[in-house]
Amino acid sequence: MGGPSDRRQFLAHAVQGVAAAACGGVAWNALLVQQAHAVPFAIRPPGAQPERDFNATCVKCGACVVACPYGILRLATAATGIPLGTPHFVPREEPCRLCPDIPCAKACPTGSLDRVMTDVNASRMGLAVIDAENCLSWNGLRCEVCYRVCPVKGKAITVDPHPRKLSKHAVFVPVIHSDACTGCGLCEKACPTQVAAIRIVQPALVQGRIGEHFRMQWRPEAVPEAAAPAPAKPAAPAKAPGVDYLNQEVNP
Amino acid sequence: MTSLTRRAFLKSSVAASAAATVGLPVSQAVLAQAKAAESGWAWDKAVCRFCGTGCGIQVATKDGKVVATKGDPDAPVNRGLNCIKGYFNGKILYGADRLTQPLMRMKDGKFDKKGPFVPVSWQVAMDEMERQFRKAYGEKGPSGVAIIGSGQYTIQEGYVAAKLMKAGFRSNNIDPNARHCMASAVAAFMQTFGIDEPANVYDDIELADTMVLWGANMAEAHPILWSRITDRKLAAKATKVVNLTTYRNMSSDIADLEIVMAPSSDLAIQNYIARELVARNAVNWDFVKKHCVFSTGPYDIGYGMRPTSKFAFDAEKDIQAKELEVTLSKAEAIAQRRQPGEKVEQKSRTSAGRHWLIPFEEFKRGLEPYTLDFVAELAKGDPDEPMEAFKAKLVQLADLYADAKRNTLSFWTMGFNQHQRGVWVNEQNYMIHLLLGKHGTPGNGAFSLTGQPSACGTAREVGTFAHRLPADMVVDNPAHRALTEKTWKLPAKTLNPKVGSDIMGILRDLEDGSVKFLWVQVTNPFQSSPNANHWLKAAREMDNFIVVADCYPTLSGKVADLVLPAAMIFEKWGAYGNAERRTQMWRQQVEAPGEARTDVWMMLEFAKRFKVGEVWGAKPLPGLKAEGFEDGKLPDVVEGAKAMGYKPEQTLYEALFATPENRKFAWPDPVAKGKANATVKALGENWFVEKALFEEYAQFGRGHHHDLAEFDTYFRDDVRGLRWPVVGGKETKYRFVEGHDPYVKAGAGFDFYGGAFKALPTGNLDAVTEAKPTPIPGKAKIFFRPYAAPVEQPDKAFDLWLCTGRILEHWHTGSMTRRVQELNRAAPSAVLYMHPKDADSRGIKRNDAVWVESRRGKLKLVVDTKGRNAMPRGSVFAAFFDESLLVNKLVLDAVDPISRETDFKKCAVKVYKA
Repeated sequence: MGGPSDRRQFLAHAVQGVAAAACGGVAWNALLVQQAHAVPFAIRPPGAQPERDFNATCVKCGACVVACPYGILRLATAATGIPLGTPHFVPREEPCRLCPDIPCAKACPTGSLDRVMTDVNASRMGLAVIDAENCLSWNGLRCEVCYRVCPVKGKAITVDPHPRKLSKHAVFVPVIHSDACTGCGLCEKACPTQVAAIRIVQPALVQGRIGEHFRMQWRPEAVPEAAAPAPAKPAAPAKAPGVDYLNQEVNP
Repeated sequence: MTSLTRRAFLKSSVAASAAATVGLPVSQAVLAQAKAAESGWAWDKAVCRFCGTGCGIQVATKDGKVVATKGDPDAPVNRGLNCIKGYFNGKILYGADRLTQPLMRMKDGKFDKKGPFVPVSWQVAMDEMERQFRKAYGEKGPSGVAIIGSGQYTIQEGYVAAKLMKAGFRSNNIDPNARHCMASAVAAFMQTFGIDEPANVYDDIELADTMVLWGANMAEAHPILWSRITDRKLAAKATKVVNLTTYRNMSSDIADLEIVMAPSSDLAIQNYIARELVARNAVNWDFVKKHCVFSTGPYDIGYGMRPTSKFAFDAEKDIQAKELEVTLSKAEAIAQRRQPGEKVEQKSRTSAGRHWLIPFEEFKRGLEPYTLDFVAELAKGDPDEPMEAFKAKLVQLADLYADAKRNTLSFWTMGFNQHQRGVWVNEQNYMIHLLLGKHGTPGNGAFSLTGQPSACGTAREVGTFAHRLPADMVVDNPAHRALTEKTWKLPAKTLNPKVGSDIMGILRDLEDGSVKFLWVQVTNPFQSSPNANHWLKAAREMDNFIVVADCYPTLSGKVADLVLPAAMIFEKWGAYGNAERRTQMWRQQVEAPGEARTDVWMMLEFAKRFKVGEVWGAKPLPGLKAEGFEDGKLPDVVEGAKAMGYKPEQTLYEALFATPENRKFAWPDPVAKGKANATVKALGENWFVEKALFEEYAQFGRGHHHDLAEFDTYFRDDVRGLRWPVVGGKETKYRFVEGHDPYVKAGAGFDFYGGAFKALPTGNLDAVTEAKPTPIPGKAKIFFRPYAAPVEQPDKAFDLWLCTGRILEHWHTGSMTRRVQELNRAAPSAVLYMHPKDADSRGIKRNDAVWVESRRGKLKLVVDTKGRNAMPRGSVFAAFFDESLLVNKLVLDAVDPISRETDFKKCAVKVYKA
């Protein structure tokens, strides 16, 4: 907050909020979609559509907030910078408990949250990442709190012991596995460092991708998500490729 | 710190301490930077407040506050590391609700048991305490008063408490929370070796090929030792780790072999292993013949419950009745060579520790029923595991033990100790290691770990138990009393020869009105003791006076009448002794807040209020029968005291503590290096209380196998604790072994020189046949102990096993760790770990609130089906740290009849949706 553009955005949100309250918000979807790419990462309830679609379909009715038995969901206020009135949660304060019956998603009237989802562990609300410099476990202390509180313990977070080298102690290194991490944030909430050394972030911010042309045969699951696009059919060449080069004079 | 960013500072201090560990050269610039960042900080060595591992730490103070701590890079136990509790050593002092003044229940300006707590002065608090003590002591004598102490006492605190009670008030009603923790280990040490405490050291971890955990979730309960075990496994690929447990816990994560067993079946499994060792001819006969004898004892020893149903809730009566008579199950009948359904009167319940020598043939006959088929059938703990797979695991375990080439360590803690047959199951482990001749040598041994920071150093070595005196002596041995009276300069027959009430005994005494004054120190027994509803009610409703000295308000404080604010670890001088006999000391670093005082000060002030002439007169002692004593009475020893130069009007403070010898230790003392001493200051004295009392105490052990170094030695900059016996300035790694232990003569090889129970009658598996004692000097005993079923087992009404325990994030009842917001956030409340199918079949989902109900009470908990512990079907687990979810309401108060240690690990409950 502070710059002129922030202020403009704030005013826009405030106006949307008032109008949304008046007409159910539907009319504002187009506007919200446009600005969605610019807003901070919002951690959405389980089963949320991709952010763009979510913003386009969420009517800010608050049904999911009411349905959450732990009261962790809240509707975004202007101060968050998240599209106004949309549901989200802040893991360091209250993480998602991954209710097996997913009451928040079931309550969604529009399908912004996947109402037919049956496995809450299939949620991908965000991705946990560890700041290894400040993680106590990475430094050899016997903490591993994140590992123990993880509801998909042993899948989303594993602990990988390594020799410490400084002494005859092992270091128990927590490792995140994106294929199982739901982004529920229990780890971020529980992390005992002053500022959490494990955070839920937007996966795209931290995840790389190996080239689609390569396969690690010892990790068959590591196939990139997008199938390699079929090579575009090359247009018939005007000239035989390489011929110009080959026809150049040779200058010794 | 101006020229240094915080990040750069952190990096430079990490680099400096890491480099100090491995001896890397550090640039002078980096060192200077680290120093600049800590300008004004004074670092001094200390010890972690929490578990029995005994990690060394360094504490930094500035302006009277602890500003930081670090794992001590020079401490051999932890080399700079800590667990997540140890990481917060500095924060436990500064919780918002730290007690700063005495609080007493008052109405109309006077003490009133039904009144609310009101702040009072120390004077008013101690006046009322004295009045109430005199009332109870006058009415009931020495058995009407009691202290519940702690394995977290400093050595000096335990020593003052024991001397005040035993020599001053002539009461043996002092018992530590360590009774709940390792009394079974102690009794097994005494019966097996004649002397307490482990023969091995932590360095054995780096030498072991096989490490077997028996009921020890070291990954959580001994976090830093677990780092060493894990490192050993990483460094030497052939290392095997076996985890025997009643549910899958974090220690299984690196185990090569996980054996999920049924509660109490460890008794059968160990006999199976011994049977295999004999059958495979894997016994080290050379060792056994030279250094061991075979022994056994009675089976009909009861379960340490009350013999009467008078105080039992109606629902408890069926289990209580088994205290007197048990109907043998099929498995028990086979295991004990009897008939199924046979009713066995528990005739030996008051003489459970009796034992006698047997020939090897009888020992072998005892093992005969423990075949693989029989043991696997009764021991398989996971109903979903195929029987053949389980059998294969037992065979694999036997293979590992039988392999003569593998160095083998066995570890245990509460799974063995908190066991209705805790002494037996400890002794069985020595049985295995002694048969193999693999005990107390580098990389080999049966290693009993302790839970608390000074369970060994204080509770055991000082002897703050109802039956003990310092240096392994006991109150019911006339020679031990005489020696103690001599060292303490007491008139003959001052010491009470009748063993006092142990911790469960004291709580039961409150309930039946036989104890009317209780002083609780450094522990929280009303949360940590089983069957809690009884004692909570007794505390509030019976005519008694309960004093709780603590640093924070606890559940025990809540049911007390007077709460005294206590100084915490770095606010006093102290010493702890860990599980490898390592004694470590620390200086007082900061002042306690407000009017909080040291426990030593409280006891010394209290001692000032009683005169020799009052307490050493004749005292009634119901039930006393001892040679040389009139029945039911302690004699008047005032005349004897006068003859020794005491005056009747002299106070106990002068007679027992501020003696002319002790006053020779002057305060201030250069060893303090300018640090303060809260005890001395509050007393307004000029003698160094903690040093004088340590040196007085150390006299008991020096020359008697328990030699401690001099007080000042432990404060040397190059010392990080020393493992006793320290003889000629040298610590001892391996006890009983020639070349290591200075008490073992050249040529002996081994000498199990402990003196207790070293002359025994002879008999067969069932009875004594020759009463005349045979002396067995220098020998260790290999016991035959049978399988016995837990007294309460799941049935139709209560269909699940409940196990309780500790978690990594919290210490015991959470009185300190719950004050650290970060730890509380990491583990905010106790949950009920349950198998998903057990939850499903009861219509329960993860995170649902359920009722957990036993014969003794019920409690609402939230269910977790996929957390840190994976339960087999039929078992649930809940931790006991959470004061708002009092798990101990549910737990049965059966104890091991030999050690009197509670079994927190198995009782029956039902679970249903709340």
